Amino acid sequence: MIKWTDEQRTLRAAAAELGAVVGKDHLERDATGTFSEQGWALVRESGLLGLPFGAEYGGLDADLLTTMYVLEGLGESCRDGGFPFSVTTHVVSTGVPLQRFGSDELKQRYLPGVCSGSAIGAHAISEPDAGSDMMAMRTTAVLDGDDYVLSGSKSFVSNGPIADTFMVYARTGKSGAPDAITTFLVERDSPGLHVGQPMGKMGLKTSPLSELFLDGVRVPTSRVVGKVGAGFLVLDHVMKWEILLSFVVNLGEMEHRLAECVRHARSRKQFGRPIGSYQSVSNKLVDMRIGVETSRKWLYDTAEKLVARKAVTTDIAITKLVVSEANVASALAAVQVFGGYGYMTEYGVEKDVRNAVAGTIYSGTTEIQRQRVAAMMGLG
Amino acid sequence: MSRIDEITRYIVAEFAPDIRADELDADYDLLDNGVVDSLGLLRLIGWLGERYDLPVDDIDLAPEQFRSVRAVDAFVESALVKGPAL
Repeated sequence: MIKWTDEQRTLRAAAAELGAVVGKDHLERDATGTFSEQGWALVRESGLLGLPFGAEYGGLDADLLTTMYVLEGLGESCRDGGFPFSVTTHVVSTGVPLQRFGSDELKQRYLPGVCSGSAIGAHAISEPDAGSDMMAMRTTAVLDGDDYVLSGSKSFVSNGPIADTFMVYARTGKSGAPDAITTFLVERDSPGLHVGQPMGKMGLKTSPLSELFLDGVRVPTSRVVGKVGAGFLVLDHVMKWEILLSFVVNLGEMEHRLAECVRHARSRKQFGRPIGSYQSVSNKLVDMRIGVETSRKWLYDTAEKLVARKAVTTDIAITKLVVSEANVASALAAVQVFGGYGYMTEYGVEKDVRNAVAGTIYSGTTEIQRQRVAAMMGLG
Repeated sequence: MSRIDEITRYIVAEFAPDIRADELDADYDLLDNGVVDSLGLLRLIGWLGERYDLPVDDIDLAPEQFRSVRAVDAFVESALVKGPAL
């Protein structure tokens, strides 16, 4: 078990305070699908966006585990599930690959904007015909002088409507080959780049999402992130961070949900007894607790292994699968524990189900995680 | 057994079980010829990290380093000599 320092606890408490403020009008914004501009201004002031990045770029130089612990606090307090998702998307989409693979020039130019939140980040990976099968992507990048020319379209770009910089993954080599994809940093105002309208979706409605169209967008070779052909490895690194940071937020949400359900089950009486005294209800709460504890173990054990520079491909896949499925189960159980109140929009419990389902799809579906584990076992 | 032989045996066993280790040329293009796909690349990197105690998440990785058995061997040699890229 990790022993957190006072400094780490203070950072987490600050994130929790921020999350509580941002989440105040979550029901109204969920109904209208509105991103919290005010929340973004607050998170910028807090310094949270620069947590894992170098102090020379305006970051806090926090390690991975500290970053996760603080984000867990944000998830526990913020009832607007879409907002932390936009925060983690911003951090992992542009900041994480820049810090690990970016040239000094790219880091100096773009990381300060990531840390301060002045330039919102997004990544463009999925395509209409290439979701989990990213190696089948059709967006191409062709070298022309000192520029690459990007053409194609991307779907499901989280933060797309509000982003200033995009990490675009495009094909520079033979389709399907592991060295076929390259990562490019593309600015929003690049000629030929068109951001689609915000798209309606089931959950995470306050985190805007759009399509992205690239019509002969010229990107200087200096904005290649990592080596040409190394996009798959860049993305693999990004996905490790995305899964750990996004899903540790879900852990915080599950902790809050469990506490609320236990409180309700102890105070709500039916047939003269608290509903929690009925085994059919208490079993649900126990399963929710098991989901929380299992998720915590997988998230932090995997993070510690990653920090220890061990290969975590299998661990990351299992972590993602375990936490996302536990979150769905927890959210559904909460609706059942709250009964009619859980089903009503105004109590905010049903929203968690819609939000949680997204976690079984983004960052690689549950199905693709199983396939990945199987492949690592030599079965695929 | 030399390291290059060990790498060859692993790649044949995991990705090309229909051939013998001595049939795989050390310069054969594993990526272009589809012997190692994207997930296979992660498996190979994971195995190299564990087998040779390489800090794989700290090294500046590129697919070229895994294009052939000889390239993989050179990558391991380089990683062992240089240590992690910080």
